[in-house]
Amino acid sequence: MNAARHHVIVGTGVAGNQAARTLRRREPDARITLLTLSALPFYNRYDLPRVFRGHDDWRDFLVDPPSYYDDQHIGLRRRVQVVNVDARRKTVALAHNEELSYDTLLVATGGRGYLPEELSEFRPLLDGFATYEQAMAMRRKVPEGGTVAILGGDMIGLDLARTLVDTGHRVVVVAGPLTFWPHVESAAHRAELLQVLQRMGIEIIDAVAEGGIDAIQAGARGFAARRIAFGSGRECAADVVLPSFGLVPSVEFLLGSGIDLERGVLVSRKLRTTDAAILAAGDVCQIWSEAEKRYRFYYGWKNVRAMGELAARNLTGDDDEFEPQQDETLHIHDGSTIHSPFWEYA
Amino acid sequence: MKTDVQVAICGSAGEGTIAAGDILRNALAGAGYRVISFDAYPAEIRGFGKCVARLRVTTEQVYSLKERSDVLLCLNDEHGIPHVAEVRDYGAVIYESKSIAPLASGRHVSAHVRPAQIPYPLAIRELCERATGAVRSRNMVALGYLAGLFGLAKEPFQRIVEAKFRGKGAVADANRDAFEAGHAAGVQTFKLDAVEFGPPVQGLQSTMLSGNAAVVRGCLDAGLDNFFGYPITPATTIMERLAVEMPKRGKRLVQTEDEISAIATTIGAGYAGARAATATSGPGLALMSEMIGLAVMAEVPSVVFVSQRGGPSTGIPTKTEQSDLNMALYGSPGDAPRVVIAPTNVDGCYRCAGKAFEIAERYQTPVIVLLDLYLSNRYESVVLPSTPPFEANSDKPLGSEELGPAYRRFALTPDGVSPRALPGMAGGMHVVTGLEHNEAGRVDEQPDNHEAMSRKRHDKLQAALAHPDFTFAKRFGDAGRVDVGLLAWGSTFGECLDAMFRLQAEGIRCAAMKVVMLQPFPVDLVTRFLDDCAVVLVPELNYGGQFARLVQAETGRLVQRYDRVTGSPLRVEDILGQARRLVQAARRKAA
Repeated sequence: MNAARHHVIVGTGVAGNQAARTLRRREPDARITLLTLSALPFYNRYDLPRVFRGHDDWRDFLVDPPSYYDDQHIGLRRRVQVVNVDARRKTVALAHNEELSYDTLLVATGGRGYLPEELSEFRPLLDGFATYEQAMAMRRKVPEGGTVAILGGDMIGLDLARTLVDTGHRVVVVAGPLTFWPHVESAAHRAELLQVLQRMGIEIIDAVAEGGIDAIQAGARGFAARRIAFGSGRECAADVVLPSFGLVPSVEFLLGSGIDLERGVLVSRKLRTTDAAILAAGDVCQIWSEAEKRYRFYYGWKNVRAMGELAARNLTGDDDEFEPQQDETLHIHDGSTIHSPFWEYA
Repeated sequence: MKTDVQVAICGSAGEGTIAAGDILRNALAGAGYRVISFDAYPAEIRGFGKCVARLRVTTEQVYSLKERSDVLLCLNDEHGIPHVAEVRDYGAVIYESKSIAPLASGRHVSAHVRPAQIPYPLAIRELCERATGAVRSRNMVALGYLAGLFGLAKEPFQRIVEAKFRGKGAVADANRDAFEAGHAAGVQTFKLDAVEFGPPVQGLQSTMLSGNAAVVRGCLDAGLDNFFGYPITPATTIMERLAVEMPKRGKRLVQTEDEISAIATTIGAGYAGARAATATSGPGLALMSEMIGLAVMAEVPSVVFVSQRGGPSTGIPTKTEQSDLNMALYGSPGDAPRVVIAPTNVDGCYRCAGKAFEIAERYQTPVIVLLDLYLSNRYESVVLPSTPPFEANSDKPLGSEELGPAYRRFALTPDGVSPRALPGMAGGMHVVTGLEHNEAGRVDEQPDNHEAMSRKRHDKLQAALAHPDFTFAKRFGDAGRVDVGLLAWGSTFGECLDAMFRLQAEGIRCAAMKVVMLQPFPVDLVTRFLDDCAVVLVPELNYGGQFARLVQAETGRLVQRYDRVTGSPLRVEDILGQARRLVQAARRKAA
């Protein structure tokens, strides 16, 4: 094994950061470079709802202090965008016109929020909650006791919803097929879950029953900032509207790289792509499931961290397979609260 | 909320780096902040070397730049990269996000931003092209972004840009549009750093001046009649500014063919009764040294501004140093005593410039005003007096009884200052020569005469140590006995003063003294200071400890030298380190 190898990791989420940590442990002399679009070092995005509990300093969300990267000799390059991967030359091209060579490449770019096409025309009126910056921007827009409308739901949005309710805000979930993403629920269980959400203090509007979303409009001055108009004629006013329909993997920069893509990066259970020097981990990769005979995603903090760990081990000599770390069942407690394993992060 | 933000702007020569710093400091001073700034630039005119403009923006009075900047604005990757490390934790690094040329691995600023710093990539070139159709105003895009990001009011910037480009039509429009484009991007950027500009000082009416500009104001307020000069970095801007201002006042400036002519004509004008001056740097002073001896011998008032730079020889023209002290003190054939003064800040440049003419006239002597590049190019917010605090004529009164056939131009008087008749004055006929002469000015090589005249030329200068309204040396900090004293001259005193405040905050009893009058030396004031200090540190920007040796020679006391010749100003941290070390050693010894 060459101790002077250069490991490049694209993405500094749970998977990327865990991989860097493991790589450093296993190859003390290797050069490790983390590339990220984020302006901040790795922070706990799952924890962002805490901004509504008064935690507004980004340093509160950091998993490791900035000095960690210096101490571990891990190169952390923020606000850089990878635009291309040349697997033959083993280089990545960065948007600012720099080329970076690698010996191994780990793709851990995760995913970004999915927005159904029929809502894309309203994008300028929608908010996000995927980054610290977006979370803070939303907090500044929502007054005390204000209203947040969450379109879709998904377990990320519902996690925020329960915090908002706890902090005295009004939350309206415009429910649809992806309300409990990534859980896949039967129609009967779904109805029961929606009732529980209501008992948790979340208002539910069934998008299908209301004829779908007709329009999202900016409110007139002095009124609510946003209005959602449904096909039925019903309207819902809110201070912000947050689309929350699950994730789509960020893989555009891999087009033309030669590695196999579907919705995400297709990998074996050893997280290997079709290029020997490139592995993938986290929400970006679809892992072969022998049982299901298909490539599938494994979400959740524990799974993603395990993938980062495994990818790093397999980059440094191991040849192990991924084993899921958490169940995918959505639980109801006492008929009044729900609990998702995807909310377990620490 | 107090403001203490240091901004560094880094780029290549010709990219508008220094201009951006100039606009920023003037805008912020105009907004009511106190600003101290210093530009470092290469000897090359365009396209090669690195330019760095640094500004410390405060609401409280400070005396030096900080070691670490809060904001770095990079207009050029290659030159910006070495400066990223100077940005403090949670400070901001603003840089071009889209290079037009392919960059090798690690040659983009983003590769060097440390995890605790906040990166702000900005498509400077693209924004500029979109706003103006060209890329020349990239510096204004960057400035606009900085203003937008930190919530600085736009109006002061607009006023400065308007004034700077008045009458330049399309250029003015481009700069304004570029600023607006950058500002819009800055406002939209989510601010993650911990850099805050608080409200400016209410009612602060200060003027933003460089050391050289302050010299010019002092000269004009003192009634400078004639200036003769030959360009040399870093003194040139004195002549450039005077060339604009003097004709408006009916005064004359001549660019001579060399430094020898410059000093010769200055002495000639002084002999004729005009207030005259020249300005140069170390190499020029070397050429002037023989003529300065003539001014000493002929007892002609003349003022020489010397802005020191890295030496010897051509040396490092655009780097700062304090290594011409010995030449200023002693650099002439024979015993040639002259007055040497050295301001320590921009305000001092103004006062020393004006006072130099008074002293030169009153004591009939050349006066050398020692600046250095750091002080010449340093900008500070200063409040100038509404009425010039300088005498229009400081000549020793000439009684009519002293004129006539028996007039003795070089009469031996109790104070050593002889009656000075100007050419053409009835009854004032006399001979002037560089040869040793008697009281009438006639050549006289007799031993007694030479001794008497030498004594006269030396002793008359002692009275300069009592010249009214002039700070010869001044003590700051703790009174009485102190653990450590910092003794400095010229531009380095600001760093010493800030170091003193830091040492006091650490519980170390500390005092600092600046010495402005270097010759004649204020022995009593300095000796009293030395007596109060357990140890004395003398930081200065030359290799041989020229000032420290002067202090030791004049006072007979030992001091600790701290000599640096990096071409850059001293760092407060370094002075602190030296001072702490001395204090600890003294305490160990005492224990």
